[in-house]
Amino acid sequence: MEYLATVAILIALYVILAASYNLVIGYGGLATVAHPIFFAIGAYTAGLLAIHTDLPPVLNVLLGAVAAMAASVTLAASSLRVSGDYLLIASLGFQLGLLQLIRNLELTGGPGGLSNIPSTIVGAARTPIFLAITIGLAIASVLAIRAIVQGPYGRAITAMRDEELAFTALGRNAMTMKIVIFAIGCGIAGVAGGIYAYYFQYISPDQFEVLQSAQILTMVVLGGMGTAYGPVVGALLLLAIPQAITFLHLPPSIMAPTQGIIFTTLVLIFLFVRPAGIMGVDSSKVRS
Amino acid sequence: MTEVLRVERLNKRFGGIVVSDNVDLTIARGEILGLIGPNGAGKTSLFNLISGVLRPDSGRIFLNGEPIDRSKLFRRARMGIARTWQHMLLFRTMTVIDNLLVAPRAYPGESILRVTFGLGAVRAADRQARDRAMAILTRMGLEHTAESMVTDLPFGQQKLIGLARTLMNDGPLLLLDEPMAGVEGAAYETIKTVVREEAASGRAVCVVEHNVSFIRDLCSRAVFMANGKILQDGTVEELISSSVLTELYFGV
Repeated sequence: MEYLATVAILIALYVILAASYNLVIGYGGLATVAHPIFFAIGAYTAGLLAIHTDLPPVLNVLLGAVAAMAASVTLAASSLRVSGDYLLIASLGFQLGLLQLIRNLELTGGPGGLSNIPSTIVGAARTPIFLAITIGLAIASVLAIRAIVQGPYGRAITAMRDEELAFTALGRNAMTMKIVIFAIGCGIAGVAGGIYAYYFQYISPDQFEVLQSAQILTMVVLGGMGTAYGPVVGALLLLAIPQAITFLHLPPSIMAPTQGIIFTTLVLIFLFVRPAGIMGVDSSKVRS
Repeated sequence: MTEVLRVERLNKRFGGIVVSDNVDLTIARGEILGLIGPNGAGKTSLFNLISGVLRPDSGRIFLNGEPIDRSKLFRRARMGIARTWQHMLLFRTMTVIDNLLVAPRAYPGESILRVTFGLGAVRAADRQARDRAMAILTRMGLEHTAESMVTDLPFGQQKLIGLARTLMNDGPLLLLDEPMAGVEGAAYETIKTVVREEAASGRAVCVVEHNVSFIRDLCSRAVFMANGKILQDGTVEELISSSVLTELYFGV
């Protein structure tokens, strides 16, 4: 049960990551590969604060989110001023550079990572409590993002993504909106990072590699980019399938490649059969 | 006459191509100014310079006496420069009404803080904007298209929606970039009526148009541009009978 609960916690955390990445890339149209590093900033900030201070855990997680937000604003404000395309390049540099820094600083534990993060909640109820917290946060994130992309703000986001020049020439401040969307998405990833650090009590640079963004992006695309519940379905599917395969008790030499084959096959099938994702609506079939 | 727009010695070049060569221009309240000239004359570039899409190399632009040339594109729109686009640039995944609803000079829905902490006021502004949008669509005979996707409408109606969206900005200056290109029949008459009404309400209107009869019907004054220069500024009749125009424009 403990094992299944841990898997469920991981799925909930990835729902948060996929939903927030979807806000940035799917709704905001902001191309970035730096999502793992904002997850890391949240995790390391909360972890370091937990080790070195007596601040309450909730505050530490929040400060982790604030740190991720602040970093994201710096990145977006500097690169978006040049052009939208620069965000992609700048985010790659930011992701690689900052992770390298984390890997080399003594404060962050270097390549060995940060261990001995205090347990905070002890006893038999620990895992169920974390499960409840992460599922609650996952639901809250998905609903909050859904609220953002509906209504007057969502209308502005859609218009900006459709035709930015016309949108700006109507008096809309597209730059500020992009920075805000980016900051919200990265802040939410920071929250997930803080919870991750508290639950696993150990974080290392290898968990926040740039390839993570490919995994999160796959979740978003499979589930349906630019849909409210797509990332939930995507995260569930992509994390549950490998776990399900483990129960087949295949030898490790077959296991590892099987997972890769299944992922790749899924992506290919979706690209051909359902490019808008599971929850997405095929735009060629829409007719009002 | 009250001057709404004043452009002074405006210069802009892209490498060797001069799109604005010492342009001086004024447009008054209630006036409909025609801006004509061959392709590549710099008409749309002049619109881009006035509205803030492009930054001039030198020169000044004043709106109601206030210098605006250092202001950004979105600020100039809020100050009341409304413009259309040759290629419409409609928000293509949105309905007609939503296209119009994001277009008022003030749209509190673009602020996450206001949407989070003052949703009531944002919704109230939205309802007001909806009433104005429906009134504009009704003027154009398009109220029945409000809930349609813009891409489902025929070209002529999309053109009207582009104009309708621009009219959500009720500022003092209206810049229309080829409103008639590709438009015929009923839409043609509608656009003419709407442009007249907007000028009559006190706005300064500038129209880039190749359709000479449209210019003749609507404008009292017209400006002829070529190679980024204003070659002639006078009444439409003067301009049409001018040899400069016939030579450069009609190639006769």
